[in-house]
Amino acid sequence: MAKDVEEKTSSIKIQKKPLRLRIWNNRGFYLMFIPVFIFVLIMHYWPMLGVRYAFFSSKMVPGGGIKWTWVGAQHFINMFKEREFWMAFKNTLIISVVKLLLNTFVAVLISIFLNEMTSLVCKKFVQTVIYLPHFMSYAVVAAIFTLFLSPSSTGMINETLKDWGWIDKSIDFLHISSMWRPVFYIINLWKETGWGTVIFFATLSGISPELYEAAEIDGATRFQKMRYVTLPALSSTIIIVLILNLAKVLNIFEPVFVLYNNRVFDSSDVISTYVYRKTFMTAATDYGYSTAVGLFKSVVGCILMLGSNYASKKIRGRGII
Amino acid sequence: MKKRLVSILMSSVMVVGTLAACGGTEAGTTTQVEVTDDQGNTTTVEVKDTATGDVTEEGKYEVKDLHIVVDGTLTANVDNGQEAFIEQWEAAVSEKVGHEVKLTIDQLDHSDYAATVQRYLTTGTVGDGQFPDALIMSAGMFREYQTTGLLWDMAAAYDKAEFQARVTLPEVNLGIRTKDGKQYGFAPTYGNGCVSYVKASWFNQYVASDANTDGVKTIEDVDTYEKYYNMLKFFSNINGDNKTYGVIAAGFGKLDEAPFINYMPEFWQGAYPSFYQKDGVWVDGFQEQATIDALDRLAQAYADGLIDPDTEEASTKDAREKFFSNDQSTSEGVFTYWAGTWLRTLTDNMGKNDVDNELADERLLQLPPIKEITDTWGGYINREAPVWVITDDGDDNSLREQAIFDTLFETMLDGDKVQTLWTYGAEDVHWSTKAESFTTNPDDPEKKKDYEYADGVFHLKQSPNDPNAVWKKNHLDPVLVIAPLTNGFVDDDPLVTKGNQFFTAHCVDAPVAASSETLTAEQSGLKDLKTTLMNKVVTGEMSGADAVQSYIDEKGAIVDTILGELNAQ
Repeated sequence: MAKDVEEKTSSIKIQKKPLRLRIWNNRGFYLMFIPVFIFVLIMHYWPMLGVRYAFFSSKMVPGGGIKWTWVGAQHFINMFKEREFWMAFKNTLIISVVKLLLNTFVAVLISIFLNEMTSLVCKKFVQTVIYLPHFMSYAVVAAIFTLFLSPSSTGMINETLKDWGWIDKSIDFLHISSMWRPVFYIINLWKETGWGTVIFFATLSGISPELYEAAEIDGATRFQKMRYVTLPALSSTIIIVLILNLAKVLNIFEPVFVLYNNRVFDSSDVISTYVYRKTFMTAATDYGYSTAVGLFKSVVGCILMLGSNYASKKIRGRGII
Repeated sequence: MKKRLVSILMSSVMVVGTLAACGGTEAGTTTQVEVTDDQGNTTTVEVKDTATGDVTEEGKYEVKDLHIVVDGTLTANVDNGQEAFIEQWEAAVSEKVGHEVKLTIDQLDHSDYAATVQRYLTTGTVGDGQFPDALIMSAGMFREYQTTGLLWDMAAAYDKAEFQARVTLPEVNLGIRTKDGKQYGFAPTYGNGCVSYVKASWFNQYVASDANTDGVKTIEDVDTYEKYYNMLKFFSNINGDNKTYGVIAAGFGKLDEAPFINYMPEFWQGAYPSFYQKDGVWVDGFQEQATIDALDRLAQAYADGLIDPDTEEASTKDAREKFFSNDQSTSEGVFTYWAGTWLRTLTDNMGKNDVDNELADERLLQLPPIKEITDTWGGYINREAPVWVITDDGDDNSLREQAIFDTLFETMLDGDKVQTLWTYGAEDVHWSTKAESFTTNPDDPEKKKDYEYADGVFHLKQSPNDPNAVWKKNHLDPVLVIAPLTNGFVDDDPLVTKGNQFFTAHCVDAPVAASSETLTAEQSGLKDLKTTLMNKVVTGEMSGADAVQSYIDEKGAIVDTILGELNAQ
């Protein structure tokens, strides 16, 4: 009987209305979609035509405007020869990936910690406190930390450490190459971890209490409940967050730009700051070169995104794009 | 049906809204104009009508809407009476040139000035509303741009300018001309330079202390590097807690702006860490032994705690605010900064913060250049003047550019109404000749000061944004200007006069800044590397000799190319 029904169902051919008719029937929706479509075309696709400039050299001309001269792949050859470029590329990967892993790890930890809190007032207070730094601009954050970490006698951290007798001489936290990245990660953790907990905390709130009750009946301790109930429930979200962020790791600019300085270029200069300096800090900018670096960054970003998608398919059984 | 109608209406509005911004500006029309040169030859040229102005029936280009880009040196900013300045400028200039002229001022943030100007000049076109008709450039920036072809050669216009008859310092503008006689900038004032200011109260403590082993009695006695160093040592521990410093500046050296050694001249002494002419030949001063020695001196002073570590990243604003801060327990004894008007400004700011009130206008001492400076340079460096430039519209004639010159520069130095606007600001806003009396700091008996002026007496008024301070000047410094005012308006602040006289008596002109095509292209990288190396040496990460070697290894080939170009000019 069931087999008969199945056969009949599969043999029924769904009659689709012609596309033009479907569009006409839904013309109101299509009309509403037009502005969005035009916006996407203008704002996202039209600028992409600019990648052609990666193969041209630019020169300013009197009266304003730029004269473009075809140079083929010369910019890419120059770029690959440049020590500064490779240094920036390496720094971009290291800083972004470490920042991503650290932020995610600490956000998960804090989420679990908040989840375990029984006092609602305390939980809300902690959440508010850790969310707040997210709403400060990086320029303000940089100014605050620069002031706090100053090696001068106005630097609060150094003076406190000196008063405690822990150090004799001020430490120039933001100007020593080996210290810059750790300090940068800490500042980022302070600013962004709270906000990062939102998504994990939402997942935790969705875990069925029955699972905890069952674990309790089985005699699980609090730590074991975290280990065998909470973490597995979070794992899928953690992976999604990591994968989604991995695709955009090369876009880091603002947090580095406001905190880096000449002495730590070796460990802090990223592709975006490198492009900024090459483009805006000279009177004779070759926009072709800057575009070539940007294009290279986009290609690597695209590869990372496809890799993330592949990883997502493997781990979760479905992709993210 | 109603819903559908609403959706269609909304969509239409959004589409129109989206596309509204896509409209281009209408291209200017072209007019044929007959031009007669100095030899009497007449030619016909095509002139575009732009947003700047257009050509009249008589074939004359008239500037209608002048768009200028300025930095913080126009002190009549939007919070300080700029609206009145513009209004009075437009009225005065329109009357002078015989037609209406509108002025648009785009005042950029100092820290982002070069980058924004670069963006305007590369992404805009003449008359697009953002592209400047004229703008201010520092000497270094000017040398970078003068090889790009973006600037108009105003040599002929300058030579026949009406104000020529009144120019008292002709060498200022002749000095910025290229070897082939082209002049891409106009300097209405000479450059000015920096003087080392010493806090009198700190100095007096030093004189009376046991640390004064050099027998210093007056500031003139601090005449060698050794004596200067000893004074800084005392300053760095003036309260016995090692929390004060000898000196602060906005950078150990200002390697991105000529003359580079303005801020720590006692340490740089005879060094010049950039390209300069030595016995007629261009050399790279950064590679010289004098630079290595200077870097090592700075490193030693830094290690000894004499230089405030904030110097490395401090902006000029940060540095001066720390110097006159009301918390003197973490401040500094010496600050090298601009001469003249800034002596008054620094003194007033110390007063505002209740620093050394009992000393009044004697709060700061001006340190004469030490022996090591006079033996090498001869004195403090008088920088090359910042200039005004006019953008070239790229057509084959100078009608638009000449009209801008006449409208802006000719009037700027008219000796009368317009020059007064640029010098002191707007009448009855920044200055006045009407009888009036006012009091600054009326609620503070210690600082309260009464001012009273009779009718007809020129005087500066209270600052528009600070009723407790008296306005100082606008863009042109009356003491530095190349053609003085003829209307007799003089602000005779004795402190400013004292500052200017001191600098004039102790300064020498800076070396001419270099300019070549490769230098323009590579300047940014060279400045970055030199600043990085300087900071590393001063903070003890490497020696001066290693830094110079590292510089040669990385940029030696480029430097050779630049020197080749410079010496071939």
